[in-house]
Formats: sequence, C-alpha cells, structure tokens
Amino acid sequence: MRELLWHAWLIARKDLRLEFRSRTALASAFVFTALVLVVFEHGRDPTAVPTIDLAPSILWVTFSFAAMLGLNRAFQAELENQALDGLLLAPISRTSLFWGKFGANLVFVALVQIVGVLLFILFFNVPVWRVWLPFLLVCALATVGFIAVGTLFSAMVVKTRFAELMLPVLLLPFLLPPLTAAVAVTVKLFAARPLSESAGWLRLLAGYDLAFVSLTTLLFPATVTE
Amino acid sequence: MPEPVVENGGYMMAAYIVTAVILLAYTFILARRTRNKHD
Amino acid sequence: MTLAQRGRWTTIGALFLLAGIYVRALRYTPVEVHQGLAQKIFYLHVPAAWSAMLSMGFVGLASILFLMLKDARYDRFAAASAEVGTVFCCVMLTTGPLWARPVWGTWWTWDARLTLTLMLFFLFIGYQVLRGAVTDPSLRPRYAAVVGICGLILLPFIHLSVYLFRTLHPMPIVLKPSAPSLPAPMLVTLLLSFGVFTLLYVGFVMQRYALGEGATDA
Repeated sequence: MRELLWHAWLIARKDLRLEFRSRTALASAFVFTALVLVVFEHGRDPTAVPTIDLAPSILWVTFSFAAMLGLNRAFQAELENQALDGLLLAPISRTSLFWGKFGANLVFVALVQIVGVLLFILFFNVPVWRVWLPFLLVCALATVGFIAVGTLFSAMVVKTRFAELMLPVLLLPFLLPPLTAAVAVTVKLFAARPLSESAGWLRLLAGYDLAFVSLTTLLFPATVTE
Repeated sequence: MPEPVVENGGYMMAAYIVTAVILLAYTFILARRTRNKHD
Repeated sequence: MTLAQRGRWTTIGALFLLAGIYVRALRYTPVEVHQGLAQKIFYLHVPAAWSAMLSMGFVGLASILFLMLKDARYDRFAAASAEVGTVFCCVMLTTGPLWARPVWGTWWTWDARLTLTLMLFFLFIGYQVLRGAVTDPSLRPRYAAVVGICGLILLPFIHLSVYLFRTLHPMPIVLKPSAPSLPAPMLVTLLLSFGVFTLLYVGFVMQRYALGEGATDA
C-alpha cells in the first residue's frame, strides 16, 4: 500500500512538474474561468434574477469546463514518444499510474477552483467565507467524483478520433449527480440553511465518490493492458 | 390545470402514433439489415 | 431457423401483441379522472422506460462478463443491447413530453426523472459513438465494456436524485414498498404492456446480435 501511494505520488509529481513548467493548460484554465465569470457577470440583469439564485450554477458550470481542460491534458502528454508505453513498462502497478494521474488532475482542478472561487466572490459578492468549511467539503466531494471518472475516460479517449469532443460526450451523464448535488448544497449554503438540510445530498456525493473511485481504479487496467 | 378530458386526447393519439412509428421503423430497419447479410 | 429469423418472428409477434395493448389501453381501460385521456400515454411510456433500463442493465452485465471472461460474444450482446436501448429511449423521450404537456403544462422540465431519461439516452449514444470512434479493433470491446459498466453503476445514483429533488414527476405508484395504488384494470394493462415491451426487447436484440456475426462492427 505504501509503495502504491509512493509510486502514485511520483507519477503525480511528474505530471504536475511538467504542467508547471509549461503552464499552458493551467493558464488556459485560469483564463477560461475568468472569462466565463466575467461573461456571466455582465450578462445578468441584477434586477431580474437575484445573484444568489444563479451563482451556484455559474460556479459549477465554470468548474466543470475548467476540469475538462485539465482532463484532456492528462493523457495527452503521454501520446508523444510513446511515453505511455514507457510508463506501462516501468515497475509500478497500473493502480499507481491511475492514482498518480487522478491525483495530478485533482491538484490541477483544485488550483483552478481556488482562483475561480476568489473571482467568484469578487464578482458575485456571495457569502462564501461564512460557510467556507462545508463549501470546501462539497467542492472536494463533487470534484473527486467526476475527476475519477474523467481520468478513466481520458485514458481511453486519447486513443480515439475526435478525442477532445469524445470526453465531454462520454462524461456528461457522469457529471450529473455530483454537479446537481454540488449546486443544490451550494444554494443551501449561500442561503444560510443549516447543514442538516443538505445531509441527503452529501450522502449521495459520498456514495458516488466511494463507488466511482473504486470502480475506476478497478477498471483502469482494462484500458491499458495488452 | 389539466386540460378538459376531450381536449387532451390529441396528445394521447400523437404519443401512440409516434411510438408505433418508432418501433415499426426500427423493425423494418433491422429486418432489412439482417436480410442483406444473408444475401 | 437462424437467430435473425427467430428474432424477426419474435418481434413480429411482439408487435401484434402491442396492437392488442393499444386496443386494450385505448378502449378497455378506464380513463383517469385527473389527467384525462393523456394519462393513457402511461401505458407506453413506463414500459418503454423499463425496456430502456433493462437494455442498460444488460449492457452493463454483458460488459462485466466480457471483461472477466474475454468472450467476444458478450461484447456483441452489449453492442446489440445498446442500440436497442437507444430505440426505447427515443420512445420514452417522445412520449414523455407528449404526456407532460397536457398534464403539467410544459413540454419539458429538468426534474429528476426526465433528466434521468435524457442521461440514459446520452449514455447509450456515448457508448455507441465511442465504439465507432475507436480505431483499434482490439481496444474497442474493452473500452466499450468500461463505459458500459460505469453507465450501469451510474443509474442508481441518477435515480437516487429523484428522491432528493422536489419534482413534478408523479412519485412512484407501482414500484413501491406498499401495494401498488393503481386500480386493477389499469394495473393489468400496464403489466401486460411491460410483458410486450420486454418481448420486443428480446426480438430486437436477437436480430441486432445476429447482425454482429462476422462483422468487424460497431
């Protein structure tokens, strides 16, 4: 188990290092997030719809798109020079490889989310700081869920035609439970509802994460074995 | 408010017709494809 | 008789029985007081949903068996079930709004159940698009199986959302712990329709499976 985690960490570190050197995906994700938020900010009519109603949806839409950018990047890098084969030949388990990629994706998306939330607070003036801990919990739970599935799918999609288009198409149904749960809870949090009201949604998120992190870990080897 | 009984029969007919069309169309498509295979 | 021929006869038989359901539902089943005639769409919509779910269930199951046993026939069955599931989804997605409009006043609403049906449709489409987009024939069945299994496991989570969202959709009146609250004649029509739609599923899948034979197909 320790070795598994260590190897996963090595993979993740490699990916993150690569990303920080070039910063292309990260930069485009930041810019994209800012762009979407600005567009929504200017597009809405504050007298028509209260911000507080729209805000959670906007936030989560932004996060999902940014996540797609990150996910596409994940296995793309391995396409060149058959790097993926090199990784597969290395004395690490498939699971470590998957968790490494998964971990790197999570860090990537978390960074984008942090920037996103800051901009979000700035533009939309929503009371995040009052509920920052539950909000963090929801973000983490939802993100883990769809990034797990996204990492698995991106491994496959990289070998298909129209790879960038395939990922959102495949991923859409899998985004639904975590995103709707996240938006529902975020709405309640911003409206200062007690956390107990969101209990059902949080259980759904936890169940989803448990199910899909396990399932994707189990299935990943099938996508790369010979 | 639901429309009066006599007025929403149209939707019912539409649904029944559309369902029949879809299922019959697929039946024909499959029949033609399987027939072609055995030529 | 070849599989395709048996499938064809099964389908034709099922279609005749479906005509019988039509007659029974339209003429011999009482009209529901609150929703009027449009309620009769129920006898097509719900069994179609059942067949679509059944299709997805089999896609998932066949995918699991394929990955475990490496038998290409399971993959072929999964592909067949996915295509047939798409057809039933189309029935669901057309009859649903046609029922919703007169009864709820709107063609579509993003309530949990309708959203589930749409997601199921996207799952089937995604599965088949993936099959078409994978250029390497040794990878195709494995990738498809992965997506199929994930899709199957996803369904209960989408379904769970039904109970968490306040929804316009009628709460379950047939499949619930206590006895169904549907009056007997309506229940019988519904159950018969379930049977016919299941038979249709079988007939369609037999033919579609037969098509897969020998083809380097999707």
